[in-house]
Amino acid sequence: MLRVAIAPRPQWQRKAADFGFKFHTMHGETYWDEAAYYQFSLQQIEQDIEAPTEEIQQMCLAVVDKVVKDDELLQKFQIPQAYWQQIADSWQQQQPSLYSRLDFAYDGKNPAKLYENNADTPTSLYESGFWQWLWLEDQVKAGKIAKSADQFNSLQEKLVHRLAAIGKHYDIKHMHFACCQDTDEDRGTVQYLQDCAQESGLLNDFVFIEDIGLSDCGSFSDLRDQKIQTLFKLYPWEFMQREEFGAALQDAKVNWLEPIWKSILSNKALMPMLWKLFAGHPNLLASYFEDELTQAKETKLVKKPIFSREGANVSVLEHGKTILQADGPYGQEGFIYQAYAPLPRFGDNHTLIGSWLVGDQAAGISVREDSSAITQDMSRYLPHIIL
Amino acid sequence: MQSNKSKRSLTVNLSAMRKGFSIKPLAVGIAAIFLTACGDKQDATVYKTADDCSNSNPEFAQQCQSAYENAVKEAQRTGPKYNSQRDCESEFGFNQCNQVQQGSSSFFMPFMAGYMLSNLMSPRGYSSQPMFTSHSRNSSYRNRWIGADGHDFGDNRRNKLRVSEKSLQPKPTVNRTMSRGGFGSSVRAKSNWGSSAKRGGWGG
Repeated sequence: MLRVAIAPRPQWQRKAADFGFKFHTMHGETYWDEAAYYQFSLQQIEQDIEAPTEEIQQMCLAVVDKVVKDDELLQKFQIPQAYWQQIADSWQQQQPSLYSRLDFAYDGKNPAKLYENNADTPTSLYESGFWQWLWLEDQVKAGKIAKSADQFNSLQEKLVHRLAAIGKHYDIKHMHFACCQDTDEDRGTVQYLQDCAQESGLLNDFVFIEDIGLSDCGSFSDLRDQKIQTLFKLYPWEFMQREEFGAALQDAKVNWLEPIWKSILSNKALMPMLWKLFAGHPNLLASYFEDELTQAKETKLVKKPIFSREGANVSVLEHGKTILQADGPYGQEGFIYQAYAPLPRFGDNHTLIGSWLVGDQAAGISVREDSSAITQDMSRYLPHIIL
Repeated sequence: MQSNKSKRSLTVNLSAMRKGFSIKPLAVGIAAIFLTACGDKQDATVYKTADDCSNSNPEFAQQCQSAYENAVKEAQRTGPKYNSQRDCESEFGFNQCNQVQQGSSSFFMPFMAGYMLSNLMSPRGYSSQPMFTSHSRNSSYRNRWIGADGHDFGDNRRNKLRVSEKSLQPKPTVNRTMSRGGFGSSVRAKSNWGSSAKRGGWGG
């Protein structure tokens, strides 16, 4: 695993505009950074990332299977009781999931360590599935990267197939897609999924989360008063379950993407549960619920809110004292504690690997860099190759 | 487990990914979507005005008012339209039509005579439809309640009706949205929080 400098493609910004990639630069700061790339060996990808990703997915499903049947655990996961039955039903019916992203600390030598599972609303999908793919095509064509170079990235193909399979599962020809207003990044991610749905033969419509309506029959509707039958929502379950229309979820009978059982995975309480079931697994970090903290032998721990996004409210504790802290609006639902395992550094950069799952299959990686040890929302995205 | 297979997508449709200079407009294409069906026949009441409704249901005055306003809007959208005042008056009676401007064209439409309301007390929300009636001796609709699509709901001296669910559906759009904005409040709350919300997105 190497970090290699390379000249950016001339006029790539113009190409980004042609393809509708609007958020490569955000708030004047670089987000998509093609002045360098990461190089992996095929063995690193297949043995250290791909295989553990699929194995962890199975371990996560084992956690779901345990938690849905256990009121005490559902409580610990901070899932409101009103949704326990819906979650159990959706798990029982094996409602299909679309995609997830596992975040790993990986240095190219030691086992990748799982930080968290973004199972509900992962972004950086377009950059991964399409844009870094296009970057490699261009750089190989321009003779800047060896023809034999590959990339761990079958995301787009797998998403198209998965969406077609989900369409078949529910016997539908149409899907709605939704995200919040005023964010180019989320809108771009959802547009990408609409493109994949289109490619898979599904008709699709978009509605902003804030514009979703509740109809007289109890179903949700879009702005044209069309019934929402199937909805991909780039909006967290833990928010929906605490909002006004949450009470209407049961009767609205929507085919949800992601299905509501994924509330158990997109939840930091997953980490101590994985540790309980699979303690000592080489890809796991020791993790504890707040009330188990006395068991922790580690002197350095990372404290994470049960619900949070992009590193917000994460802090690092040494002998119980906070030595590093990221602010944010989260934490009222409590925290979990995870053994400290710093991100590897390449130059001045702290590097995080996102490993994608489509359904239960590993589908590629994304590489993010940050100048801080806690990756925040402004960390840069770099492409990668296999050579 | 090393494989010779490519680890990246082989069949990316580049031209389909091209967007011109911006992300696509919000909605493209019209899909056939099934009507919502809640059940069979329902009780409905026709009220001539919002006051008529709230006099009968004082505790639901607000719903009476907004249902009335919805029905007025719906009447504008779906009510019968005529090219000339004469055509309209021959169906609905003298002084029963007004001129409406829609875009560059103008039409004559009958006044809404009342609105049909059902499920007023249902927690899922009510549904309402504009009602028309005719004062013309020439019309078979004289003194009848008529829906926007010309459906005859019976004698207009009666205001209690038993109607099929379908007749409560707006025409031709799919179902009746009673409220919006029930999702998204967490985002508004968290967005007020300083710098880490600067991107505004809720993916991770």
